[in-house]
Amino acid sequence: MSNGVRIASAGYRPALIYLRTMLAFFVVWALVAIVTANSILLPSPLAVARAMLDLARDLELFLHAGISLGRMVVSLAIGSLLAIPLGLAMGLSRALDEVFDPLVEILRPISGIAWIPLALFIFGIGNALPVFIMTYAGFFPILLGTIAGVRSVDRRLIDAARTMGVPQRTIVTRVVVPAALPSLMVALRLGVASSWTAVVAAELIGAPSGLGYAVEWYRELLATPQVMSFIAMIGVLGYLGDLGVRALGRRLTPWAHDAAR
Amino acid sequence: MSAAEPPQGANCAPAGGSAAAKPRAWGDHTIAVRVARGLGLPLLLLALWQAWGSASHNPRMPVPTHVVTAAVDLLRSGELPLAIVQSLSRVFAGFAVAAVIAIPLGLSMGAFRSVERNVDPLVESFRPIAAIAILPLAILWLGTGTGAAVMIVAYAAFFPIVINTVAGAKGVNATLLRAAATMGVPRLRTIRTVIVPAALPAIGVGLRIAMGVAWTAIVAAELAVGAKAGGGGSGGIGQMMFVFYAYSIELNRIIVCMIAVGLVALVLDRLLRIGMRLLMPWTAP
Amino acid sequence: MTGATQDAGAKLRLAHVAKHFDVGGAKPTIAVDDFTLDIAQGEFLVIVGPSGCGKTTVLNILAGLDRPSGGSVTLDGHEITGPGPARGVMFQDYALFPWQTVRGNVGFGLKYGPSGSGLSTDARARRVQDCIDLVGLNGAEDKYPHQLSGGMRQRAALARLMANEPEVLLMDEPLAALDAQTRLILQDELLRIWGQDRPAAKRRTVVFITHAIDEAVFLADRVAVMTTRPGRLKALIDVPLPRPRNDATRASAEFQALSQHIWSLIRDEAYRATVT
Repeated sequence: MSNGVRIASAGYRPALIYLRTMLAFFVVWALVAIVTANSILLPSPLAVARAMLDLARDLELFLHAGISLGRMVVSLAIGSLLAIPLGLAMGLSRALDEVFDPLVEILRPISGIAWIPLALFIFGIGNALPVFIMTYAGFFPILLGTIAGVRSVDRRLIDAARTMGVPQRTIVTRVVVPAALPSLMVALRLGVASSWTAVVAAELIGAPSGLGYAVEWYRELLATPQVMSFIAMIGVLGYLGDLGVRALGRRLTPWAHDAAR
Repeated sequence: MSAAEPPQGANCAPAGGSAAAKPRAWGDHTIAVRVARGLGLPLLLLALWQAWGSASHNPRMPVPTHVVTAAVDLLRSGELPLAIVQSLSRVFAGFAVAAVIAIPLGLSMGAFRSVERNVDPLVESFRPIAAIAILPLAILWLGTGTGAAVMIVAYAAFFPIVINTVAGAKGVNATLLRAAATMGVPRLRTIRTVIVPAALPAIGVGLRIAMGVAWTAIVAAELAVGAKAGGGGSGGIGQMMFVFYAYSIELNRIIVCMIAVGLVALVLDRLLRIGMRLLMPWTAP
Repeated sequence: MTGATQDAGAKLRLAHVAKHFDVGGAKPTIAVDDFTLDIAQGEFLVIVGPSGCGKTTVLNILAGLDRPSGGSVTLDGHEITGPGPARGVMFQDYALFPWQTVRGNVGFGLKYGPSGSGLSTDARARRVQDCIDLVGLNGAEDKYPHQLSGGMRQRAALARLMANEPEVLLMDEPLAALDAQTRLILQDELLRIWGQDRPAAKRRTVVFITHAIDEAVFLADRVAVMTTRPGRLKALIDVPLPRPRNDATRASAEFQALSQHIWSLIRDEAYRATVT
C-alpha cells in the first residue's frame, strides 16, 4: 500500500532519533552511576546488560517470561470468553443491560489488585492466583469496551439492513459485530494492558514464579542489575503484547483507522 | 414469519392501544420494573452469599451481615478513615508531582514537533513498564515508607497525563491556530491563549484516568509493602488489607476494605469530573 | 486576459502565482497554475470554481498562510510574507474559540494581537460592542459558541474579523455550512455590514470564495472563474448590477443571465471534478 511505502522510506529517520534519545539516556545513566558509585543503588548500564545476558544464557529470563506470558494468555482467553458475549448481549438488549449493569458498576471500581488478599485466602500462593487477578483485571475493560462498541454502531447501518429484509439474527452477526469490531480491538488493547499490569502485582505478592516474582526475589538479594533486567523484560513484553493486539486489530479490521492501529 | 402475518411496521398501526404512542426508548416498562431489574441481580447474589455463609461452619467465612458489623467497627474506631486518609495523601502528593511534570511536558511535546520526537522514545519505552514493577526498585532506593509509595503513584499517574496532554495539544483544531495567526497573535502567545484552553478537555480526561490509575497503584504498593515489610510499613488501606489477611485473618474486614477502595475510586472520579466541569464552563453538557 | 486583469493601482495583486504540493515522491500535485489577478480597493471579488480547483489555496496565499511556489502576491505593492490582521480571514467552519464567549472571541485579536495596541481597555470594549451590534448579535455577548445557531456563529466570526479593522476581508465559503434560507439572509447582512452603499474608497476589499453561482453573482463586483485542477483563471466576469442589491436583484433578468453565463463556463469543469 502506498502508505506503507511512504512510511518505510522515511522510516529510518525516526529510528535514528529513537536511537539517539536512548543513547543519551544511557550515557546520562552511566554518568550518574559513576557519580553515585553505589552498585546496589544504581548499577551501571553495563552491569545491567551483563546481568541480562547471564539471565538469558541460562534461560532464567525466558523461563519466567514464558510463565507470565502463559498466565496472561490464559487470563485473556477466559476474560474475553466471558466479557465479549456478555458485552454483546448487554449492548443489544436494554433489559439485560439493566440487570447486569449495577453489578458491573459496583465491582468495577474495586481494582483487581484489591482482590489479592481475599484471593490469596481462597487460592493460596500458586498459579491460580495470578490468573484469577489477571482475568478480573482484563474483564472489565473488555466488557465495557464491547458494550460501547455495540452501542456506537451507527443506527442507520442497522436500519439499512432491516430495509433489505435481513433477519435480526443475521443483523447481529453481519452488521453489529463487524461494526463494533474496531472498538472491540481497542477494548482488547486496554484489557491486555490492564492484565499485564495486574500480573506484576499478583506475582510480586502471591506466586512462586514469573517475572513479578523474579523481580522481588532478586530485590531481596539486593541484586539490582537482575532486578532491572526483569523490569526491562516486563516492559519489552508489555510493548510486544500491545503490538500483537494492534496487529491483530489491523488483520481483523482493515477498514478501521483509529486507536486500534 | 408466515405470509399471512402483517409486516413488522404494522405494530405501530393506529388500531393498537395507547402502547403505540409511548416513545420506544423506554420500552413499555414502568420505573418500578426497571428498578426491580436493576436491583435484582445484586440482591440475589447478596442473599445467596448470606445463605451460604450462614450455612457454612467455617468461622472465618465472610458473611454480609458480619461485613456490615465489621464496617461499623472499623469506622467507629477510626482505623478505616485514618487508613483512607493516609492512602489519599500519598495519592494526592504523587498525583501533584506527576501533573506538574507531565502537563507542561505534554504541552511542549504537542506544540513542538522536535520536542516530541526527542522525548517520545523515552516515554514510550517506559510506558509498558507498570508502576508496580518499579516498586522493588523504589523500595531499594527509598525504603518501605511513604517515599516509595509516592514515587510509584507519580510514575503511574505520569503516563496517562502526558499522553492525553500531547493528544490534546496536537488535536487542537488547526483552523483555530490559523485564525489566531490571521489576527496577528505571535506564535508563542498562541500556546497560552489557544492551545492550552483547547487542550483542556483532553487534559481533563488524562487527569481522570491518571487518578484511577494512581489510586490502584497506591493500593497495590501498600499491599506489596505490607507483604514485604511483614505487616509493618506506614499504614494506608492496602497495608491494612494485608494485615487482615496475614495476621488477624479477618476476611470480613478485608471485604470492608475492598468496598472502601471501590467507593473512594468512585468518589475521586466524580470529584474530578465536577472539577473539570467547573474549570471548563464552555463545554456542552 | 492580461489587459483586463492587471491594474496599476490595485490593492491586491497576484502575479503568475503557482502552488505545488509534494505528495511523497510521486509527481507533485499542481494546485494552482499561473494565476494572475488584480483586485481593486473596495472591490467585492468572488472566486468560483469546481471542487478542488484551488480556490482555497489562492485564498490561503492571499492570507499569508501558504507561500506560493512561484509568482508573487502583494498588498499595496508590498509582498505578503505571512498572516496578519490587515488581511482578516473568515474560515468555513467559523473557527470560533469554544472556550471564549462571543465577547471574548470578538475581542481576541484586540487582546492578544497587534490590532489592540494603543487602545485603552475601555476603547477596546467599546469597539467589541460596536462590532457585535453591527452584526446584529447584541444580547448574545456572553454566550458560548456551542450555544449559538449556525447563523449566529457566522455573525460572531464576522464581528471578530471586523474588530481588527482589516483592510482586506478574505472569506473561504463562509456561508457553505448554513441552510439555504439562512444563507440568503446572511448574504443580505454581509452586504449591509460591508457597506454596499458606500463608495469604493471607503469600503473594505473583499475576496470571497463560494461554490454557489447565484451567491457569487449576488455579492460580487467581479466574478473570477477558475478551472479544475490545476487551477487557472478561466474568465473574469464583470457584474454591473446596481447596488444596493436585494431580493429584487435576485429576480431580475440580468441576474439570471449572468448566472447562466457563469454556469456555462464552469459546467465542464464541474463535471470533470466529479469523475476525477
